[in-house]
Amino acid sequence: MQNPLCSETACPLGAEDCPLCAEVQRLQSECERLHELSHTDPLTGVFNRRHLMAALDQERERTRRTGLPTSLIMIDLDHVKRINDTYGHQAGDDALKWVSQVWRKNLRRIDILCRYGGEEFAVILPGTRLNAAVRAAKRLRTTTEQSPVTLMGRKITLTASFGVDTFLDTEELTSRAFIKRADRYLLEAKIKGRNQVCCRKPEKAQQTIEVTVDERAALYGGGILPKKKTARKNKG
Amino acid sequence: MAEISRHNPRKPVMACMSSGKGGVGKTSLTVNLAFALAQRGLRVLVVDGDLGLANVDVLLGLQVQTTINDILDREADPLEAVVYLEPRLGILPASSGVPDLAKLGPEDHRQLGSILLPITRHFDFVLVDTAAGIGSSVLWFNTFVDYNILLLTPDPTAMTDAYALIKVLSRDYHRQTFHLILNQVKNEAEARQVYDHLARVASHFLSLNLEYLGAVPQDTSVSKGVRHQKPFIKVAPHSKAAIAISGLAERLKGWVTQKSASRKTVGEAGG
Repeated sequence: MQNPLCSETACPLGAEDCPLCAEVQRLQSECERLHELSHTDPLTGVFNRRHLMAALDQERERTRRTGLPTSLIMIDLDHVKRINDTYGHQAGDDALKWVSQVWRKNLRRIDILCRYGGEEFAVILPGTRLNAAVRAAKRLRTTTEQSPVTLMGRKITLTASFGVDTFLDTEELTSRAFIKRADRYLLEAKIKGRNQVCCRKPEKAQQTIEVTVDERAALYGGGILPKKKTARKNKG
Repeated sequence: MAEISRHNPRKPVMACMSSGKGGVGKTSLTVNLAFALAQRGLRVLVVDGDLGLANVDVLLGLQVQTTINDILDREADPLEAVVYLEPRLGILPASSGVPDLAKLGPEDHRQLGSILLPITRHFDFVLVDTAAGIGSSVLWFNTFVDYNILLLTPDPTAMTDAYALIKVLSRDYHRQTFHLILNQVKNEAEARQVYDHLARVASHFLSLNLEYLGAVPQDTSVSKGVRHQKPFIKVAPHSKAAIAISGLAERLKGWVTQKSASRKTVGEAGG
């Protein structure tokens, strides 16, 4: 984060090698380093849970203001326990590092990849509709499967499960509740046998023309209308 | 200009002209109705609500400097954007060929509302000419106004598209009253027949009552007016279409009288 008051300009008084300016710059870069540390997962180098919550709050607000949906992919790397048990915890960590780099390379620059905890990750896709987010999740699933990791000299195929959900501007939902909802689809993917993508049921767009077959027939056909399904209100 | 600058402390009557289907003569009818209302002593503002493919200015051959889009984009003065065709008739134009602007988000709509409201206070009647279809801006304009006017031709596709718009507005936006104008009809009987049919379907499936506002017959003077970029009620004031417009304008003027009468009643009751 660049502080405009402390940009790398010469001393305002024109002094060369100004010790105060040098100190300000040192503090500034220290500040940047600490900020980065507080938002980064030390193992994988992707964003951490703290950043996930802050970024999700921001994107939800953006959705509310612009009407563009925010999508969220919850990811869980499959069978990490098995890797840990077979090859040791260092191998498990290596697998997490490897796969997070694979995902990072296969996401857009605007997407925010975070480690949620353990072997669970989350990707925020700003301004992205459900169908595009599902496509992205499917791409990540295939890439994971096709990018084996080398652990103790052996090539191991990794797989992951994905839950996809979208936050719409019409919804009243906290970031925590949104994550919880997306997590349900991840759980569904796990229960269904892992290595797959599950998502929220795509709702019909709110503004689609919904003229039913009956209505259309009545509009075109003239004359006779079909019997009304609902009870008519009593005439006062 | 003196009449326009007189600030109206009360809210004007605001009505939206929509159609569902394009090409049913919405813009032409809106402009002619606006002239007819101004002739009746009302201060009228036409808002070009077709933010992506505006054509009110084209229809009237106007040289537009500032548009709604400029107000949204670079905070141009909204009152400066209003073009006065007559002392009592103002047009707030939009930009043509900027499709992205047809897809405004909720924040833009809020901004648009806060821009429009103070301008409308200078008028007695505001007519919004919306885009065709049921895009977000069409729906927003329809919820922004007091009266929803639906324009359709006897063609079944125009009827279906108008019905779709009515359905969305009533189901998702809780609008209850819709006023129908039948355009390009052979005669009053045909207009009544189409209205009756649509009203029956709306009552049956949506439990809604549609109001019949009037009809405008097919008339060659309409297309002549469009070609000459002049309103047909000026070019051919005695044509069938112009007479029909006069009848419609009288009914719309009735809304203004009705609104001020109800205000009086409320005022008397309150005082």
